[in-house]
Amino acid sequence: MSDRNKEYTRRHFLQDIAFGGGGLIVLGTLGFRIIKDKEHQLIKAISVDFEKCAGCRTCETACSAFNHKEIIDGELVSGLGNPYYSNIKVYHYNPDVDIPSTCAICPDAPCIDACPVAPDITTGRKALYRDPENMTIKNDVERCIGCAQCAEACANLRGGIIHPNPETNKPERMCTLCNGDPQCVKHCPFDALAYIEMPEDRDLDSLSPEVIAEKLIKKYYEINVDYES
Amino acid sequence: MKVKGYYGKLLDINLTTGEIKKTEIPAQDIKHFIGGRGLGTKILWDKLPKAGIDPLSPDNALLFMPGPFSGLPIPSSSRTCVVTKSPRTSAVNPKHEHGSTVSYSNMGGFFGPEIKFAGYDGICITGKAEKPVYIKIMDDKVEICDATKFWGMGTDEFDKVFVDELGNRKYESCYIGPAGENLVPMASILNTAARAAGRGGVGCVMGSKNLKAVAVKGTQMPNLGDHKGYLDLLKKIRTSFKVNHEGVERWRYGGTADALESSSKSGTQAVKNYSEGTFAEIEKIGTEANRKEVWKRDFACFSCHLACKKSGLAKGAYGVMVHDGPEYETGTMMGANLMISNLSGLHKLIVVGDDYGIDIISAGNTIGFLMEAYEKKLIDKDFLDGIDLTWGNVDAALEMLHKMSKREGVGEIACHGVKYLAQKIGKDAHKFAIHVKGHELAAWNVPVHSDRWSIIYATSNRGACHMNGGSPERQDQTALRDSIAACSFASSWYRDEVSYAKFMSAITGIEWTEDEFNKAGTRIFTLEKMFNYREGFERNDDALPPKFFENKFTYGEHKGAIVDKNDFHNNLTNYYKAREWDVKTSKPKEETLKDLNLEFTI
Repeated sequence: MSDRNKEYTRRHFLQDIAFGGGGLIVLGTLGFRIIKDKEHQLIKAISVDFEKCAGCRTCETACSAFNHKEIIDGELVSGLGNPYYSNIKVYHYNPDVDIPSTCAICPDAPCIDACPVAPDITTGRKALYRDPENMTIKNDVERCIGCAQCAEACANLRGGIIHPNPETNKPERMCTLCNGDPQCVKHCPFDALAYIEMPEDRDLDSLSPEVIAEKLIKKYYEINVDYES
Repeated sequence: MKVKGYYGKLLDINLTTGEIKKTEIPAQDIKHFIGGRGLGTKILWDKLPKAGIDPLSPDNALLFMPGPFSGLPIPSSSRTCVVTKSPRTSAVNPKHEHGSTVSYSNMGGFFGPEIKFAGYDGICITGKAEKPVYIKIMDDKVEICDATKFWGMGTDEFDKVFVDELGNRKYESCYIGPAGENLVPMASILNTAARAAGRGGVGCVMGSKNLKAVAVKGTQMPNLGDHKGYLDLLKKIRTSFKVNHEGVERWRYGGTADALESSSKSGTQAVKNYSEGTFAEIEKIGTEANRKEVWKRDFACFSCHLACKKSGLAKGAYGVMVHDGPEYETGTMMGANLMISNLSGLHKLIVVGDDYGIDIISAGNTIGFLMEAYEKKLIDKDFLDGIDLTWGNVDAALEMLHKMSKREGVGEIACHGVKYLAQKIGKDAHKFAIHVKGHELAAWNVPVHSDRWSIIYATSNRGACHMNGGSPERQDQTALRDSIAACSFASSWYRDEVSYAKFMSAITGIEWTEDEFNKAGTRIFTLEKMFNYREGFERNDDALPPKFFENKFTYGEHKGAIVDKNDFHNNLTNYYKAREWDVKTSKPKEETLKDLNLEFTI
């Protein structure tokens, strides 16, 4: 991809997601080429169509229920789904837009870069590492020191998805992809979420819900807001 | 023993003393009154030991009640019921100076589920804070915080800045606007700057407690009685919404505004202060006009598939950002009822009303009443502070709305609603003051299908209410939905193997037969009735405004429609008989009360 194209993408991507005309609108991208990471593996992740999201938070409950199961009569089953424990978050803004925000499973993973734990000699993994099976970001809680530098990197450089656990300070809310059947996608009543192969040219610099909200508010209501200041 | 699916816990806050308690809710009360409106009324009954307590005194209780469905992703079950003693209603022959009915007003959104997440089956506010405060709840941590700097702020601005105050966008909150602060009796409570517990003056009671807002966030859920049974039902009901998708699409497309045109055509719309049932210019403010010119986004409440809330941008002379509207109610009361068909003007009225936090149904009804009084020359321009309050006049209606919300000039009288205004104006004004028990009628007109609508309005326990139901069975069903926290708009999906009673059984682990469930509805409705009876409301309070017996529609398919007074009285007698209430006084019979476990009301 030429530099000129890259620049175009960066500058116009948000405008394009906002003006995408109801087509497939991807969280942080507009192209459809498939990216591969350093090992040339495919990354599949959750994309959001902001045109369709109605802010019902069903995704939060579905994520929380699947990823926080309960043992009932000796059987591990879905939990009740308090959104607090969800990895995907829907943020309300006024004027009215709702921004679902979830782990982009970034190919360059600044969260892993930020992890100061020395790589394990045999596996080569830091405490925060990429699962080679599905490319998701995982944390080895045994080795994690709870410094929260991963969360800081995510907040500064990407969507601010990673939250340190209030008690342990260890990172949470990285997308698990629910064993290949993401529950947020499955249960969204508005078909606003999709589980797709991530395009090569997605813009990973503009994933913050604030930035997306500003653009959508401008588009729908012709109002300029500045959430970042 | 605790009932599963509940915490058995009420967050009980006294704003006079600052005392914050977590009190136990008896299991018996939970089984008998379920939650939301029902359990709220039982708690209110216990908090107010006698009749005649001033609803705006610190003694009154203001309850925010989720239900047993709240917080679970059961589609369209996110309602929050606000229960209190009404500052709006009064009896024809008052037995107590402050005799008034129960008030219950419910809102969609996200607030009720979050109360549940925080670990409570309800929040009860009594007392009165010395200065403006808000309440911040995060699980067990409950704080009463200074809200002085927010006092006087419109709901839209407050909704924006409160996020910064809380420091976390994931709190859910509800609040009053200047109308509630100014003790405008018809003040509402809002969340998300639009969704309103609009009716019954609940915002006025909140204002009387110096309480600007309640914010809540939580990390919990109670254990269910039959967790797996619930998961099975959830799967089935989600499938039902997918399979029966036509209705879903209709709600998404038009919301309740779809009824603007159909109701007008059917002659059931409130037009020109209820003089007509059809508005010739309805298309200008209907679904298609809004889709084309205003609406940009559809929004859903917590875990809802319907997304009936519409936001957008109204352009033109009254250009304004629109949080929600028009709905059928707001579009009719500020539109057809005032003969207003200017779309951006209509939106402006709704937005301004929401921003003040005033009940748009009662406000629109009241302005319509004043327009008729002005037309009939019962009042003049001087009475109206110089406002030329003619039919269809957006600017004049806006001016009235400002005055009512601020209690300025004529607004000081008008903010009390049509019953009070009619007494002040005198002469024949009471004949076209469209209220029952002091509470204004909503956007559905009475003469066409009068058998149903006259009973709906006349027998509603909060004063005139369009959601009440036209028969004992329907009323009990409504009371149940308001108690479990389900939305009426989605009720048709909950049938047979996915009935509300089946969900109740799974949540509690106690078998709820349809009969037992329905009986709980009767019990809840009857408890409200006993609250009102204790306050001095009898058969003659279950009345209709005289206009309906005297005024004939002059145009539309139902030209000539009128309510027959004898028919109404016969219907009312039959209604009492069906309820097993005394036909002279309307008092529920002792055996009926005992059968419903309401001995404590005798």
